[in-house]
Amino acid sequence: MRQYELMIILEPETEERTLQPTLEKMLAVVGKDGGSVDEIDIMGRRRLAYEIKKQAEGIYAVVQMTAEPATAQELDRQLGLNESVLRTKLLRRDA
Amino acid sequence: MAKPVMRKPKKKANPLKSAKIEAIDYKDTALLRKFISDRGKIRARRVTGVSVQEQRLIANAVKNAREMALLPYSSSAR
Repeated sequence: MRQYELMIILEPETEERTLQPTLEKMLAVVGKDGGSVDEIDIMGRRRLAYEIKKQAEGIYAVVQMTAEPATAQELDRQLGLNESVLRTKLLRRDA
Repeated sequence: MAKPVMRKPKKKANPLKSAKIEAIDYKDTALLRKFISDRGKIRARRVTGVSVQEQRLIANAVKNAREMALLPYSSSAR
């Protein structure tokens, strides 16, 4: 088990009201083999320093979680396939 | 023969120590902006006055922040 910090940039069109459930659904894999999502911090809408996929804005969220390395990798892969996710960054909290 | 002018380099105060910052985080763009030029380039250590180890952490944090579009790769190109 390792501690990870995952930053996600979502498309600006994503509904603000359903943000929390949407994120939780995306993070469902973490709980499958003993991992846990410790904190979801939605930083909100922010201007991007440069355009990503023709978007000038994005919704930022930072997730603190504990998971097996393979699970974290799988989650990052799934997010990359998701059309409403502009970008992700998975970092180990202790490195 | 001309005497070589020996100039003692002036030691800069460490800006991190004086601001009481322990952890360098790529999300802290307000802090990282102090270490990049107005064109978005990372400032050299002789300009910033931080230690080698801190400079490396800052450089990594700036690069991570750039990947997440928190900081520009380049800005206001002439």
